[in-house]
Amino acid sequence: MATMEMDDPKMGHKVHWEPENLLKGLTLGQILFSNDYRHIALKGMFTAFIMLALGGMFAIIFRTELALPDVQFLGARVYMTLMTLHGMVMVFGFLIPLVVSVNYYILPKIMGNDRLLWAGAAQWSYWILILAAILLVIGRPDFTWTAYAPMSLRTGNDLVWMGHVAIILVAISEFLAGAVLFRNAISGKGGLKNTPLMGWAAGTIGLLFMISVFPLAFVGYGLLSDWGQWTDVAWFDPSRGGSVQFFLYVFWTYGHPAVYLPFVPAIAIIYTIMPRFLGRPMWSYWSGVVAFVLLSAGAMPIGPHHFQPLYTVSGDYQRFIQILTMLVFIPSVLHVFNWISTLFMGPIPDSARRAIPFKFMVFSIAFIVYGGATAFLNGQIAPDSDFIHNSYWIPAHFHAMFFGFSGQMAFAGVYFLFPYFTGRMYSQKLGNWHFWLWQIGLFIKITGMGVAGYLYFPRWVYDYLDIPGWAVSQMFISIGGYMVALGFLAFLVNLFWSASKGKVVTGDPWPVVQDFKAAPAAQPAE
Amino acid sequence: MENALGIWGPQALMMAVTASFTILGMVMLLAAMLMKRRWKPSYAVEFVFIGVMLALAWYADLSSTKTYTAYQANLNAEERRVSGEYSGIGEAAFDQVVTVIAFQWGFAFINEDEEISRNALMVKPGETVLLKVVSNDVIHGFNIPVAQITAEIDPDDKRELWIRAPDEPGKYLIQCVNYCGVGHAQMKAWLVVSDGEEENDGENA
Repeated sequence: MATMEMDDPKMGHKVHWEPENLLKGLTLGQILFSNDYRHIALKGMFTAFIMLALGGMFAIIFRTELALPDVQFLGARVYMTLMTLHGMVMVFGFLIPLVVSVNYYILPKIMGNDRLLWAGAAQWSYWILILAAILLVIGRPDFTWTAYAPMSLRTGNDLVWMGHVAIILVAISEFLAGAVLFRNAISGKGGLKNTPLMGWAAGTIGLLFMISVFPLAFVGYGLLSDWGQWTDVAWFDPSRGGSVQFFLYVFWTYGHPAVYLPFVPAIAIIYTIMPRFLGRPMWSYWSGVVAFVLLSAGAMPIGPHHFQPLYTVSGDYQRFIQILTMLVFIPSVLHVFNWISTLFMGPIPDSARRAIPFKFMVFSIAFIVYGGATAFLNGQIAPDSDFIHNSYWIPAHFHAMFFGFSGQMAFAGVYFLFPYFTGRMYSQKLGNWHFWLWQIGLFIKITGMGVAGYLYFPRWVYDYLDIPGWAVSQMFISIGGYMVALGFLAFLVNLFWSASKGKVVTGDPWPVVQDFKAAPAAQPAE
Repeated sequence: MENALGIWGPQALMMAVTASFTILGMVMLLAAMLMKRRWKPSYAVEFVFIGVMLALAWYADLSSTKTYTAYQANLNAEERRVSGEYSGIGEAAFDQVVTVIAFQWGFAFINEDEEISRNALMVKPGETVLLKVVSNDVIHGFNIPVAQITAEIDPDDKRELWIRAPDEPGKYLIQCVNYCGVGHAQMKAWLVVSDGEEENDGENA
């Protein structure tokens, strides 16, 4: 059926190498400063797990507050600090580093370099991000991750400048990560035509990283300058001659590409591990390439759909943004179509159905459909001016995309790599607990958010009235949140237990077995 | 209830389209996981998909623009008079004109008689109200769930909105939906719908 073999470079080679226990005998110096790509990737992954634990803990605290109407135990300032840190830690500390780390681990293998080019830049990127995280925790800003001026200049404590500096540091860190991804993407031996799809993803998103962080750095600088009153005329503060519209345009020119930074590397993980589990190449190589290029090209111009720009909302410029937003829907659909066609064009091997990473992958595709289809509605100005703009509808959309898709895909990558860096297999039972708790918890949580949003529940409130439907949906979101937290605990136990006690793997940890009944010897014991 | 943007009509159609897309995707994924018969889908199918999406984007743009342009026909009268493209009847088209000041943290409503109300917008059942919304400090949101309208208000800008008041007398929520500082959750007001007589009774008491 397939005209191209899986080992073809264009299809990403057969992503395989010998499993070994990298954790054993790992010294502290290696963990912290080694430029070996596996060490950099592992460091990024484990840091991301700590960030997820931290951000998740914040979420559990305020979900408990929000489960019931009125004020329970959290004050406004503490709530907003937790909420701000939850957003920043999850996106910049957990999601982007985790997907990028999984890419750092696999890219050198499938590009055939067996080393990460410009690994030093990846090292610097990591440490600058850590510095930003420390500044955020000390400064405790409460202006949400969007830092809207002039609110972000008139809120928080005396240390709020640390938040502004952290924004600049995040920009530098992301620039370096983008440069590393781009450098590795163009290192393929056979030219662009033979670059695997993960390489195309790293190339396009690396370029987008490098361009789009400049507006972010400027936002950080402008906020710092306005806060310290460095200039006579402010950049953003309207009370001193600045422009809020200017802030919104600059911020969201970074802000929309920013949501693709975890999104595209997660897509790359699918293109890499799907052929590996199915034992056949992707349905279409060029469809994937075209989709990567279109998605990155469309990212920056459509930023203004995140706010309501200009005075009259139905002007020609808004219409242009509206059309472009709906067109950017197309590359994502091309990706999803490609994945479903690949699944459909041949039988799904029993070995794949059993593998935890494969299960996470299939359900993350379900979540990209669930959360992504609403993008078509969100892009239109009329419904946006009704119940969509800044209601809980938006968290429903981005939790489905960020967590349901990108986060789960990152975890599929981690489970896929687990035998390669520990030399052992994870516990199937705990993996299943993690898997089902997340699917059910995320579905409840995201659906609850969507319902709350449709009932005009506003974002960023710690205290709300007992309006019909509001308390019920909030209770459901909290229950979903607790389930996700339990699932993460199952993952942590699995990680530490299996790394030392799991079944030792030699040879290929992911052999393709079409039918366990036909080959009972190949079926792993429970 | 009749309202400004209308949940029935174009918007309901768009929500149905979105739901259909979600269901189609889920059915395709389920088929890919469970179906016995399998074949390699033709590349032409993907181009048909792209065609359908282009058509949907084209139609959605027309629909959204038509809805919003109709909504805005009588808004922004002053600016449009200056720019010379004004053709509506402006403020005269509305039963009441109210200036709304959004501030940290609350709303002030100033009616045509220069009466100021903190946190209550007094209207009669079914009347149309033009709201001229400004913010005097940071970016605020302005949302009236019952009127199905949401807007973002920048401090160096102003927005005009209009609503049709509900026919049922009562208290309806007005809220800020943009994070605007620690008092954001308390930034609420009420749309109070009452007949004129009841209102007078209240003032005399």
